[in-house]
Amino acid sequence: MPIKCNLCEAGAILKRPKTGDALCKNCFYFAFEEEVHKTITDANLFVRGETVAIGASGGKDSTVLAYVLKALNQRYDYGVNLVLLSVDEGITGYRDDSLETVKRNQQQYDLPLKIVSYEELYGWTMDAIVKQIGLKNNCTFCGVFRRQALDRGAILMKVDRIVTGHNADDIAETVIMNVLRGDIGRLQRCTAITTGTEGALPRSKPFKYTYEKEIVMYAYFKKLDYFSTECIYSPNAYRGFARAYIKDLEKIRPSAIIDIIHSGESLSVKKAVKLPTQGTCERCGYISSNPLCKACILLEGLNRGLPRLGIGKSHKERRKLNEMLAQKEEAGNEKTTPDNSTETTENASSEKSATGSPKQKCENCSCGQKCLSEKVEDLQLDRRKIDPTLIDF
Amino acid sequence: AIGKSKLIRDGESVLVGVSGGQASSCLLHLIQEGLSGRAHKKLRFKPGLVFIDEGATIGMSAEERLANCTQVLEIMEKTGFPCYLKALEQAMELEKEAFTNTADQTDTASVTSVENLTKLHRYDKAEEELLALMDSLKSVSAKEDLIKSLRQKILIDLALKKGYSKVMLGDCSTRLAVQLLTDIAQGRGAHVAMDTAFADNRCNDITIVRPIRDFSSKEVAMFNILNNVPSVFIPRITTKAADSVSIEHLTERFVTGLQAEYPSTTSNIMRTGEKLHTEKKSSSENQCAICQAPLDTDVPPSSALSAVRFSETVSRCSSVTLSIFSTDTACCGGGTCQSEGQKESECCGQGDGSCQSKESKLTRDEVESALCYACRLLIKDLGDVSKLPKHILDDISQRQRRTKMKSEIEDFLLDPSNTPD
Repeated sequence: MPIKCNLCEAGAILKRPKTGDALCKNCFYFAFEEEVHKTITDANLFVRGETVAIGASGGKDSTVLAYVLKALNQRYDYGVNLVLLSVDEGITGYRDDSLETVKRNQQQYDLPLKIVSYEELYGWTMDAIVKQIGLKNNCTFCGVFRRQALDRGAILMKVDRIVTGHNADDIAETVIMNVLRGDIGRLQRCTAITTGTEGALPRSKPFKYTYEKEIVMYAYFKKLDYFSTECIYSPNAYRGFARAYIKDLEKIRPSAIIDIIHSGESLSVKKAVKLPTQGTCERCGYISSNPLCKACILLEGLNRGLPRLGIGKSHKERRKLNEMLAQKEEAGNEKTTPDNSTETTENASSEKSATGSPKQKCENCSCGQKCLSEKVEDLQLDRRKIDPTLIDF
Repeated sequence: AIGKSKLIRDGESVLVGVSGGQASSCLLHLIQEGLSGRAHKKLRFKPGLVFIDEGATIGMSAEERLANCTQVLEIMEKTGFPCYLKALEQAMELEKEAFTNTADQTDTASVTSVENLTKLHRYDKAEEELLALMDSLKSVSAKEDLIKSLRQKILIDLALKKGYSKVMLGDCSTRLAVQLLTDIAQGRGAHVAMDTAFADNRCNDITIVRPIRDFSSKEVAMFNILNNVPSVFIPRITTKAADSVSIEHLTERFVTGLQAEYPSTTSNIMRTGEKLHTEKKSSSENQCAICQAPLDTDVPPSSALSAVRFSETVSRCSSVTLSIFSTDTACCGGGTCQSEGQKESECCGQGDGSCQSKESKLTRDEVESALCYACRLLIKDLGDVSKLPKHILDDISQRQRRTKMKSEIEDFLLDPSNTPD
């Protein structure tokens, strides 16, 4: 005998992954939309009259986000103007297809769309970056660049707030990943529903409490059009481990995802622990906890052919440097292979000491302030003349 | 680690929990070495040892349990410290002795030696209760969680009764890293710091100490082999089970797998735990009844807990009652809701305390309100809340009564923190 929907008398066609209740189609839509609405109102995400950019990648989260936000905006009259913002990382076979989906979405939902690309902002596409750096740390580059790209695109469109389609699974993965990596600063911030209120555009995650499975179900039943392949570079990411763990956990106990988020929200850090403070980048004025923001450092590294500039640990570099010097003293010859570590230390010192160069628009990162790329190219990196005592980390 | 924290004073009495496994045998050995005169830095405290027999949870026969206990007791007695033997069933019938702190060192009734082990059967009734409780928990994760809480309760109760001020546990870093992740996965984020710190002071009088938390399980095993430290392997509820049978088991596999590829995983996890802390609430009414940790359910409206409650409401009650949801946050507000069809929850519609609790049965909601987030999940699994150990139910009933009393006299209470001095 068919199972009845919990809310109305119709026959149930699905079981909610979140609570295990049987619901019919319309009641599920209702439940889903109500929950997102409650998340939005409880956290006071929207202010009347502001312009909100939806980070649209063409995937399921952003497609459903666009649809639901449009519907809720009309139903509950939030009074916000919605626009779509999309980022082109330059990954062939993945991003160009998904961009087509975004363009279709734009027509379907009738929202203005802007696409920003890594090529025009930084001069590098992800494909080129992966060729330089390999498959292990490329997600770092993509993530850092994408964040800046979204912000720059949003500023161009005069937007007050960005919303992204991060769902409960994503946040749970982030919590676990930050615990595994020991990143206390991020651990504190990652469960907040709105981040980055000072200095940069606030970005919110209305889907914070919705399960990925439910988003898929919603899109499936509503026949929404989305692009469903994974990024071709993602299998080797560290996040994959956390993701596998969470998928297994979900099988044991479906509420585990929300439990992890609850844990993340209840974590409190000891006062004595040093947390990174937020300032601004010297070069491009973007928000940063170091003198130079991560994007500028990464970009410098790429431009100079030192892809590992922003990645890895400085004490290891120091050790490599010392080993190499010891080797050099024995051999007494010029080193044959360029070792990234020596150049890194050079760069660190040269970047910090370079000041007062005339203001010019850097072609690479278009940040409009002093750009060191040309200056660095002039530097003769003479590997024989390194003096360890001068190197300042 | 003991010396660094300066927590253990000279001559203090410390209860050491021995499970018979590698880590606790190693701890025992280290304590012995430390106390003997030859040690470089002499440890100065008076240990007592306790072994908790958990054979009931896996249905071991009486002879097997006897054999295990004998083995462990032999090891313990060689050390010459006073030894106690407890069974997990005793957790069902602990009496609350909150006000007696008298040292009772001369009471040798529970000090057993190898010859007295035939007394294992005196806890039959409690054993049945325990088994009934275990059976009514449907998931293995919940069972493990409950076993852990009961075990802690026994240790603390024994420490209180016998006048020990500290309890020492043999948890190595690998086990603690797994514990940390498991806690996060179960929603115990607020208690993570307490569970993995060196000193855990969730109970006001007793501090739980974990001296070997800096050593990984590999180091412990190697130490044992090199020093010929005997240990007994006693199967637990998840030994040789499939990987995804319980959260802790899955986490263990995850961490050890990750550790193989990235050797710094456990130390990262431990370091993260060290940087966190737990807020300690003052009164005992703000402690979870089962795990004794501070309640973490006092949350702002935009949070995971309220999202979950809302989801349940939206999925179960009809849309009419949604409008009254905001006024009653304790349960779904409306007469039409059916929360799992339990008989006990039929009076949940009245959130204002007019619940007629003449009968001694506690409703599920009342029990839930006294528990932290993760223990609530445990209860969710439980079919019948009255199967919980009696002292927990008593505790909750007492809290309910006190809350009612407080609400009656609320207008006349002065809040000492608000009055300016």
